[in-house]
Amino acid sequence: MTYCKLLAAHSYNQVQAKTEFEDFTQADKRSLYGDQLGSMSFLEGLSIVDEPKIIIVDIGAAYTKCGLAGETGPRCIIASQVRNPRTKEVDNIWNYSNTSELYESLKELVYALIFKHLLVTPKDRRVVVVESLLCPSEFRETLARVLFKQFEVGSVLFASSHLLSLLTLGTNTGLVMDIGFKETLVVPIYEGIPIMKGWQSLPVAGKAIESRIKTQLMEHGTVSTSEQKFEAVSSVPESITDDVIEDIKVRCCFVTDFSRGQQIQEVTMRGGHANKLPPPPPDIDYPLDGGSILNVSGRIREHSCEVLFEQDNEEISIATLLLEALVKCPIDTRRVLSSSVVIIGGTAMMPGFYHRLNCELIELLRKPHYANQLGVKQFRFYRPPTKENYTAWLGGALTGALETLPSKSLSRDAYLQRGKLPDWCCVDSDDLCEEKRHKL
Amino acid sequence: MATYADLELVKYLCCCKKKFSVCRLYLCKYCLQLRCTDCTQHEVDTPYCPHCLENMPSGEAKLKKNRCSNCFDCPVCGHTLVTRSTSHTSPSPDDPTKTIAKKMYYMACGFCRWTTRDVGLPDQSVASGSWPILQNPHEQRISSLLENYKIMAQIEKAEHERKKYVSRRSHLYRQDKYGGSAAGLRRKGMSTFSSMSSTESKVPGELEPSVTVDSFEPLPNEYFTEPAALVKTTKLAHRHSVPEFQPTEISKLHPIHKHLLMRKSLRCKECEHNVSKADFNPSSIKFKIQLTAQHHVPEIRILTPSTFTMNKETIVTLTLSNPSVFGMTVSLHPIEDESDTDYCSAKVELPKKELLLAGRDEPSMQMYDDSSQADEFKDDPKVIVFRKGNKIGFVVKVTPVVNEGDVKIQFMMKHEFRNTTAAALQSESKEPEIVWLEHKVYMNLGPIAKKDPNVSQA
Repeated sequence: MTYCKLLAAHSYNQVQAKTEFEDFTQADKRSLYGDQLGSMSFLEGLSIVDEPKIIIVDIGAAYTKCGLAGETGPRCIIASQVRNPRTKEVDNIWNYSNTSELYESLKELVYALIFKHLLVTPKDRRVVVVESLLCPSEFRETLARVLFKQFEVGSVLFASSHLLSLLTLGTNTGLVMDIGFKETLVVPIYEGIPIMKGWQSLPVAGKAIESRIKTQLMEHGTVSTSEQKFEAVSSVPESITDDVIEDIKVRCCFVTDFSRGQQIQEVTMRGGHANKLPPPPPDIDYPLDGGSILNVSGRIREHSCEVLFEQDNEEISIATLLLEALVKCPIDTRRVLSSSVVIIGGTAMMPGFYHRLNCELIELLRKPHYANQLGVKQFRFYRPPTKENYTAWLGGALTGALETLPSKSLSRDAYLQRGKLPDWCCVDSDDLCEEKRHKL
Repeated sequence: MATYADLELVKYLCCCKKKFSVCRLYLCKYCLQLRCTDCTQHEVDTPYCPHCLENMPSGEAKLKKNRCSNCFDCPVCGHTLVTRSTSHTSPSPDDPTKTIAKKMYYMACGFCRWTTRDVGLPDQSVASGSWPILQNPHEQRISSLLENYKIMAQIEKAEHERKKYVSRRSHLYRQDKYGGSAAGLRRKGMSTFSSMSSTESKVPGELEPSVTVDSFEPLPNEYFTEPAALVKTTKLAHRHSVPEFQPTEISKLHPIHKHLLMRKSLRCKECEHNVSKADFNPSSIKFKIQLTAQHHVPEIRILTPSTFTMNKETIVTLTLSNPSVFGMTVSLHPIEDESDTDYCSAKVELPKKELLLAGRDEPSMQMYDDSSQADEFKDDPKVIVFRKGNKIGFVVKVTPVVNEGDVKIQFMMKHEFRNTTAAALQSESKEPEIVWLEHKVYMNLGPIAKKDPNVSQA
C-alpha cells in the first residue's frame, strides 16, 4: 500500500515536471534541445564503435536469456542449470539450500554466460538484470554480490520484467501476464506505474504441465522394448527423465480448444462419466534412449495443459487471474487495461494457448460475478515483436541501449558504500541510484 | 594407488582462504601471493573459431556476434558441417544445344546426414560466404522503437542537465530577457540552426503503439486427428540455438554459424599484473605469461598409503619436488594458531632441518645416481628416504588423535623463491633477489583403519 502511495507521489512529481516543461514555448524548446539533439545523434554514430555494450541477463526459473543491449534477440537461451560443486550433479540454480551455495552456482552460471556465450570482459561493464517482481530478496542480493564482487561490473540495473515487456510495444499501459515455468504472475501497469494492488499470481505454469504429464505417465504410460511389450512406466521410472518430460510437453502436447476442454474438465474434475470425453487425439510412439518406445497417449497430449485452466477450490485459474487483477484496479483504468493484455513467458508458446485463453476470458466475462463488476465485453491482446520467452529480455535490451541507463543504475561505488540494493518493497532505498543522489 | 595421485588430497591455502591443489593456483610474482581463479580477473583475449582455428579481431567478432563467417554447425545435431561440391549441368547461354558443367556447393553433416538440400536451400556457386542470412522479421519495428526511446532518453537527459544548470546560474536567465548576455545570444543562434536539424521532426509521441488483436486462430484440426509428427518437430534445444526465430519445424532449420571460442588472460585482482596470457596463435599451446603455482612452488605428494590407528605414531613418506631450475631450500613448520579445526585430526612431527632440493634439470633427469647425490647433499637417512633429481622423499611422523574418519594434517611450508621480476632485478646488481615464501599446506592422508578384531594384528 505504501508503495502505491509512493508511486503515486512519484508520478505526480513527474506530471508536474512535465507541465513545467510545457510552459516553455515551442521556440524555446527548439533552441534548448534541437541543436543538442542534432549534435548528439552525430556523435552517437561514433560512440557505438568503442562503447562497450551492456550485458542484459534474464535468469528465469527454467531458462536464462542473455545478450547485449540494442540487439534484436538474445545471444543465447540456456538452461538455468549448473553443476553443483557439493553434489557434483547438474541442478537448477533455484534449488539452493543457502545463499553461499547460490553464490557459487550463480558465479558458475554468469561465468558461462560471459565467457562462453558473450565473450566480453565484464570488468566495469554495465549490466541490466531482468527480474520478476516476486524475485526473492536473497536471490537478487546474491546476484548483485556475484556481479559486483566477483565480476567487478560497473553498474547493475534491476528492472521488472513486466515493465520492460511494455517497452517492446511502444506503450506504457498494459495488463501483463507472465506465464513462465514456476508461476504465473499478472501485474497491471497503467501509464508506466505498476498497480501493485492488482497483482495476482498462481503457482501454475510450465512446471505444473510437466508434473501432470509425469503423474499421468506413471499411472497409465507404457514402455515397449524389444523384449517386453507394454511394460508399465512405473516399473521403469528412471527412463522418464525431466528432459524427456519437457520434450514431450514441447513436441506432443497442446492446449485444446474451449469446448473440448470443458468436456474434459467435466470428466476429470467433476467426476462425469468417461464416455463424455471427446475422442482423444492419436497416441504417439515416443522413442526413448536405448531403443525402447514410450507410448504417449492422446489423453496425455490433450489433458496435460488443462492444468492451466482448471479452476481450483478457490475458483482460480490463469484466466481468472487476469479478471481478478482487473477487478482490483481503479475503475477508470479497467477499460484501457482490458484492451491491452500482454502475455509473456515461454509457456504461452504452447500451440493453441492464445485461442483458449481468449475463449476462457469471454466465457468468464459472461458469469454474473464478473459481468456485474466489470463492464468489459472482450479483451484485446498485444503481439510483441518477439517470441514470448524473450519479450522481457528485449525490453531490457531496449533500456540498456539508452543514455539514461547510468542515471538509473546502481553503481559499484554506491553498492560497495551502502552494501544494499534498491528494492521496490523497501522505502528508504530510493536514493541509491545515481540520479537521485545528485539531487540530494 | 590411483587415489594417491588424486589432486584433492594435498591442498594449498589461497590468499582468499580457500584451499586448492597446487595445479589450480597461480603465483603472482608481484604480490608474491597465491591466487586462485576467483582471485584473478578474467579477460577476453582473442576470439577464434574452434574449427578453422583462425583468429578474429575482437572488433570484427563483435560485429559478427561472435560467429565465424565460414564455418557452420549442423542445426540438428551440432556437428560441424562440411562443404560438398557437385557438378551441375545447365544449358549454355550462348548455344542451347551445348551444356556447361558448373560446380555447385552444398553443406552436409557427417554425423546425422542432414544436408542443406533437406530444407530446400539452393546449392551455392561459391564454396563459402554466400549462404543467406536470416533476418529477424521484427527488426524494423524494434529499431524504430529504439530510435524513439533514444530520442526520449536524450530529452530526459538534457532536461536533467538543464535543471542543474538553471539552479546554478539562474541570474543569467533573468538577464536574457533583455537579450544582453552572451549565453542568451548563443541560445538564439542555436534556435536558427535547430530548424535544420534532422532529428527535430521526430518529436516523441510519434511512436505508434503495437496493434492489438481480439481473436486468435483456433488450433488446426490436425491436432485432434493426426499423430504429432515427432520427426518433423524441433526440440527445445534446436529452438533455443536460434533465439530470434525458434522454428518449430525441422524444415525451417538453417545452418548455424559456428560460435567462436576465446583465449582468456588472467590478471591478479590486487596488482593487475597478468598471471596467465596465452599465445596469440590459436593453434599454439604455449603461453606468453604463465605463472601457475606449479612452476614456482614446490609440490608435496603422498608417496605410499599408510595404515593409521588412533594414538599410534605412523611414519608417512611424502615427496617434495622442486619445479625451478635453481636449487631450493624448504623448511616445514607447524601452524601455531590452528584455526582450521577440520585439518587437525592428527599430530605431526615434521623434519627439523631444512630440506635442500636440487634444481630441475630436464636433460639429465634420468642420469642421476641416487647414492652420489645423497653424499653431495649430506642427507640424514632418517629423514630423507631417497633423492632423485629435483625430488626427495622424506618422512613425517603422524599420530592420529581421532578414532574415525580421515587423517588430516596441516603445516606451513617455507621455501626460497627467486624473484625475477623487472622491479626486483633493477634494485640490486641484476641478481635475482631471493625471498622466502610461506604457504599453508593441508593434507588428507587417508582414513583411519577400522578396528576389526580379526584383521587388527595382521
